Amino acid sequence: MTQPDKDSPSPEWISSLRARFVTEREVDNALTRKLENRSGPGYQPVPLDELVDGVSALIRSNGDSSFEIADAYWLPGGASKLQMAFTVRWNQSDATSEPSRMVLRTETAESLHTTSRRREFELLSALNGVIPVPTAYWVDHDATHLPYPGLVTEFADGVSKPTDTQSGVSGLGTRLPPALREKLAPQFVERLARLHTFDFRAENLRTFDIPDAGRQNAIWAINWWDRVWEEDADEDVPLVALASAWLRKNAPAVDQLSVVHGDYRTGNYLFTEHDSRINAWLDWELARIGDRHQDLAWSTSNAFATYDENGRNLLVSGLLTEEEFFEAYERASGLSVDQKSVHYYKVFNAYAMVVMTLATSYRVARNGKSHQDVLLSWLLGVGYMLMDDMRRLIENGS
Amino acid sequence: MQLRSEIQIQTAIKAMTEVVLPALDPHDKIAAEQGQLVVGMLALLGQQLPLQYRFDRDELTRLHAFAAALHPRASWPASAREAFAEMDSAAAGAEDVLDRARAEPHELEESIKRLRHAMTSVVRTVFSADDADARSAVRDSVMAMSEQQLLRDRSWLLMQNWEPNPQAVPPIEELLSVSEPRGEGAT
Repeated sequence: MTQPDKDSPSPEWISSLRARFVTEREVDNALTRKLENRSGPGYQPVPLDELVDGVSALIRSNGDSSFEIADAYWLPGGASKLQMAFTVRWNQSDATSEPSRMVLRTETAESLHTTSRRREFELLSALNGVIPVPTAYWVDHDATHLPYPGLVTEFADGVSKPTDTQSGVSGLGTRLPPALREKLAPQFVERLARLHTFDFRAENLRTFDIPDAGRQNAIWAINWWDRVWEEDADEDVPLVALASAWLRKNAPAVDQLSVVHGDYRTGNYLFTEHDSRINAWLDWELARIGDRHQDLAWSTSNAFATYDENGRNLLVSGLLTEEEFFEAYERASGLSVDQKSVHYYKVFNAYAMVVMTLATSYRVARNGKSHQDVLLSWLLGVGYMLMDDMRRLIENGS
Repeated sequence: MQLRSEIQIQTAIKAMTEVVLPALDPHDKIAAEQGQLVVGMLALLGQQLPLQYRFDRDELTRLHAFAAALHPRASWPASAREAFAEMDSAAAGAEDVLDRARAEPHELEESIKRLRHAMTSVVRTVFSADDADARSAVRDSVMAMSEQQLLRDRSWLLMQNWEPNPQAVPPIEELLSVSEPRGEGAT
């Protein structure tokens, strides 16, 4: 059994993966960079002061030199990126400039999602004013100033779950009281409709490749996760190979391309508690131009659902029933929901989550590449339940 | 199974040393000492676990040899005969266990990996070829095998609380006591 050394990938192996799994150029860039750096050192704890220095250098490189950074602290949450909140005090002579609260999101040596900060920056900039997103200020795409690539955005006020409730890792299993659901659910649906009808062609999204109409977007997406599996998995799983073949055979043609968030669910937006208004949508790193049914299937995943108080109705992202969700979405967007495509993308999403948990979590944690290795090794355990979900979905769809 | 003790121990030690211990109140000496002991205990566990099976087998082998060397002599008290008979019976049991415990745990692990790799290659090859019958047969086998294995994987990790309906998953002790694969009807 000859296996490539995945912890020290050869240039030939990297080239062969790039040729086998053709995907978007920026996705390819990020994954290639990950492999080229893999044999390097693991993650070393980064002191806040070092990040403050890096951010200062980043701001100066963009032309602002009269400022100081204060009140830096770590933000919790997320299994993928380091996050630091801080305040910039601008030293303006007229003293009219208010201090700006900001957030730095930076990668680690490797993380659960290997993605592009430049791409996240571009999309946040394009969506500003379309749906609530934090304003993106600066990006250090190739870690010129920071220890790892990073992105600075506005600090958005709000909470991802009611302050008096409990939930699991990454906001999973958040229970929302009925009065709050009534206010959040329409916003949840309406923002998704607005995202999916957003005219991305009018924007300068240079790091996003626009697929041809038809199946190309689906094939790029399968190639993305097939490649990550090959790069990160330790032990082979016959069902994963079978699922990949199923996805290729059943890939649907898209009727209208949309910007897809990739992780659209409760836990990834902030709302202000005094008026229950969704103030910011976060975590755009998995976004791509593709099929809206990917988001619809993701939002309706059982992994993000909770039951209502009676225990009878399963609520999409803890907010409303699936039937209500699809009806409201069709009304708000003017786009149809095709149940066959929803099913396909449920299989696809389960497949991607299996790859993230069983392959990437394992490789990152074992090689000590992140600040959250213990969390990633814990998350590895959910991969088997997800894989069994994927098996059942394939069985039901055959 | 990817979530093995090695990675659990390694990441727990890293979290303790890089995040938890530096954050402890420096005046709380008991917390600091017990934190260090947790790290030490985990490191000891990490070192011993891969050798635990070999250690136990080695001990049983030498005890078995010792039992064989401990022949009763005629002059020894008759009251000891019963104890010797019991020892002989235990030694016979030990011989049987040693006979069945030849492979090292890492050999078992490598064999699993090798077979998984070979089976995956079969799936890929068959699904890239144009033979509907072969695809259908391989698909059915993979789905059936996966259902049984995933039930065990999920049961093995029940304590993590991922399952929406944990009662539907049988305890791992029950599943592992079944020597022949069977189609347990979990949801």
